Amino acid sequence: MRDAFAKFEAAGIKLYALSYDDQETLTEFAEKQGVQYTLLSDTDSRVIKQYGLLNEQLSKKDAFLYGIPYPGVYVCDENGTVVSKFFHDSYKKRESPEMLIDAALGRITIDETAPRADSSDEGIRISAVLHGGNGSLRQGIVRQLITTFDLPAGLHIYGDPVPQGLTPTEIKVEGPDGLVTLPMQAPPTAPLHLKALGIDLNVWSGTVSFATPLYPVGELVSECRPIDEREVELSVHVTFQACTDETCLLPQTRTLTLRVELEEVDVPNLPIHTGHGQREGHYDSVPAMKRLIWRKARNNPLRLLQFIWNRKRMERRSKR
Amino acid sequence: MKAERDELGFDAPAPLGHPVRASLPENAPTGPAIGDRLPDFSLPDAFGQMVNFHEDRGVSKAALIFYRSAVW
Repeated sequence: MRDAFAKFEAAGIKLYALSYDDQETLTEFAEKQGVQYTLLSDTDSRVIKQYGLLNEQLSKKDAFLYGIPYPGVYVCDENGTVVSKFFHDSYKKRESPEMLIDAALGRITIDETAPRADSSDEGIRISAVLHGGNGSLRQGIVRQLITTFDLPAGLHIYGDPVPQGLTPTEIKVEGPDGLVTLPMQAPPTAPLHLKALGIDLNVWSGTVSFATPLYPVGELVSECRPIDEREVELSVHVTFQACTDETCLLPQTRTLTLRVELEEVDVPNLPIHTGHGQREGHYDSVPAMKRLIWRKARNNPLRLLQFIWNRKRMERRSKR
Repeated sequence: MKAERDELGFDAPAPLGHPVRASLPENAPTGPAIGDRLPDFSLPDAFGQMVNFHEDRGVSKAALIFYRSAVW
């Protein structure tokens, strides 16, 4: 987010990040980490509750953890109306900042510096770009592999379903173990009725982009050990058939290969995070943690003891 | 501490079963729906200034992020 702030500003999108941290924590976080967007302090989780996002899996028994939201992001338009929102099945998963900008603007804006591969044949140009971040992969952060067709006038390609004998467009992204790919997102097709044959087709023409969301898990980029390989290879297999209203080219498969970097995630400076070879924060989180624990424990000190006891027990079990 | 991998494949420096590592339930609430106006609110920012969300946003598009904590 910090790295992408300038892009939000350029796109005229204001950025707000809300947590249950106290103001002092946020001041230090903003100053030491160079955060330029608005950090909001919801210490009693009032707004988190107002939005219906309070994490009810936690209870007051979970001491200082109670009060956090189910993490997610809303993107709103000029009127404050939600145009898009992103919530995941794991707190580890997050959208790349660029995807929030795309959602707000309603189109994909690709960086010139993003890793890319191109293929040009029979007048049909195809490019594959890793979109999001600096074109690197980080544990749990969702990037998009954008495959763009540049079709000459008169040619189209097909979306499912197709009549027998025609090949629909298919894009498969292959990467190393530990890379998870999600279902491809395609723009809507245009209907095409061929009178002579009496068939209806679903087609794309002109310049058309497909997005395959992907993210690495711990097997590829862990948060708990240094990265052992700086770069990995992604292969994009593109199968399609291009036709005019009268004739068809043969179906073809092209493979585009791009090399992308692996990157550490940012972790707060706390004893549990440090020493794993990850990118540690510039500010010391320990005093903030103490304040947080104290604030939450004040009402019920016994809960805190219970919590510490449970944590110790879990750590012992995990060591065995 | 040994890093344990959760069912989605993620590593984190806390033992499995610890509440900080819980995956989100399938039907976890996700608040206002697409098409709704974001509920208005006022909260202090990092420098102690009260910020009213819609007033501060003015006529800008915005992204509103709910995250767990800057501490841990």
